[in-house]
Amino acid sequence: MIEFKNVSSVYNDGFIALSAIDLTIEDGDFVSIVGPAGAGKSTLLRLLIKELEPSEGEVLVDGVSLANVHRADIPLLRRKIGTVFQDFKLLASKNAYENVAFALEMTGASDDQIAEDVPKVLAIVGLADKMTNFPHQMSGGEKQRLAIARALIHRPRIMLADEPTGNLDLVNSHDVLQLLKKIHSLGTTVIMVTHNRDLVNSLEKRVITMEKGKIVRDQKDGGKYVI
Amino acid sequence: MSQEMFKRILRSGWTNFKRNSYVSFGTTGVMALVLFVFLGLMTLNVVANSITQSIEDKVDVSVYFKTTTAEEDILKIKTDIEALPAVAFVEYISRDQAFEDFKARHAGNALIQESLAELDDNPLQASVNIKAKDSSEYAGIANYLEGTRFRALIEKINFYENEQVIARVQNISKGLRSWGMATTLLLSIIAVLVTFNTVRLTIYTQHQEIEIMRLVGGSNWHIRAPFLVEGVLYGLFASLLALAVFYPALSFISADVADKIPGAELSKYFITHAPQTVLTVVVIGVLLGVVSSTIAIRRFLRI
Repeated sequence: MIEFKNVSSVYNDGFIALSAIDLTIEDGDFVSIVGPAGAGKSTLLRLLIKELEPSEGEVLVDGVSLANVHRADIPLLRRKIGTVFQDFKLLASKNAYENVAFALEMTGASDDQIAEDVPKVLAIVGLADKMTNFPHQMSGGEKQRLAIARALIHRPRIMLADEPTGNLDLVNSHDVLQLLKKIHSLGTTVIMVTHNRDLVNSLEKRVITMEKGKIVRDQKDGGKYVI
Repeated sequence: MSQEMFKRILRSGWTNFKRNSYVSFGTTGVMALVLFVFLGLMTLNVVANSITQSIEDKVDVSVYFKTTTAEEDILKIKTDIEALPAVAFVEYISRDQAFEDFKARHAGNALIQESLAELDDNPLQASVNIKAKDSSEYAGIANYLEGTRFRALIEKINFYENEQVIARVQNISKGLRSWGMATTLLLSIIAVLVTFNTVRLTIYTQHQEIEIMRLVGGSNWHIRAPFLVEGVLYGLFASLLALAVFYPALSFISADVADKIPGAELSKYFITHAPQTVLTVVVIGVLLGVVSSTIAIRRFLRI
């Protein structure tokens, strides 16, 4: 379970990204977070992987306050939470196989295990035949699927997707959404930040709408994109 | 760390090095240039040392004995002098030897030869030439001779005529050494800064990758290690490149240098000292690479 308790986040330049947010996300939820640019959507995700610290309040994952997660343990937290970014954040100097293998190497997995798991997860996202391709040799959709494969390799219980379709066309956006749905059906909690109205509406899941750092609407089921 | 992990880190470092071939080549080239400067400084030090050595070799103190002194006494004095810790070696030149040397030195001068032939007795004095371990010791040796029990047998100690020359030689040697050291230090600092900045730029080109590695759960050590391997590779290849240029260049200039500065046999010196030279350059290269990488990557790991 993920809990935000009275969380505020103020950037160094004084910009208030989040203002006294209270939010609970249960295990196995599929939550879409929508809202205009600057509403604080991505800040929520960045707090969850401890890329940012809240200025006030507390963020808890499975009852553990992230404030108590020691600096040296941040990598462990990030391995527990799979993250997909709008700009993919792939390692340009590594090919598809190595990008996914890298995430697994961090955990101390053996070469044999890596050789077994990486092709499997690449096959799940439909990149079995692109293993030796470098990111610059892939389309936007393929890059995002590769990023999802990388996030999946740890079998995370929580998957964060920050505008996963922001750089993709309709067909590729649909593919990525199907993948996220598949991941969710396996019991993973998915939190997706998006601007894509059709995507959100087609999901019919929980939708949280944010504006100016505050939650203005929380539709628990069959939520729609309303701004 | 498991063997598998170690191999993986080595492999990753090597792959990065190969894939960023342009950057790797540039960095290695700059480092090789820096190491070549180091080798140049080492060469200059060898030249400076051989210059000071050859100047110092020319300095000695001679003690002349009265013509009435028995050879036996002179040999006793010689033994006494040899026992002094400051003395490198002592050479005894007997009156006969001095006469023969004089004759040989002026073999072409008929007038001198004739005059010598007419002499009834050998007018030359026996002497001992004293070479000190260090030119600063001559004053002490001269003092010792002044106070010796054989002082009455000594006609002349030529230290007092040479005193000024010896002092000047000492000043030149000292100057050469301290200037050499200062130049080496200054150029070394510049070289280290150049290397550091080059490696920093190389890592800067990959700072986005480092950020990504952090965001997908890479621990500091996992991210840092391949860069350190890269640093080692830069240093290793740069030192080999520098040495590969240095030795042929040395053999090219060695004969010229030996002509101009007698005693400065560079090729011979660096071939005899090849293991130390190679080891020094490789160690400096690898250290430069690793330390620069460590410092440069540190700031990108704070995400």
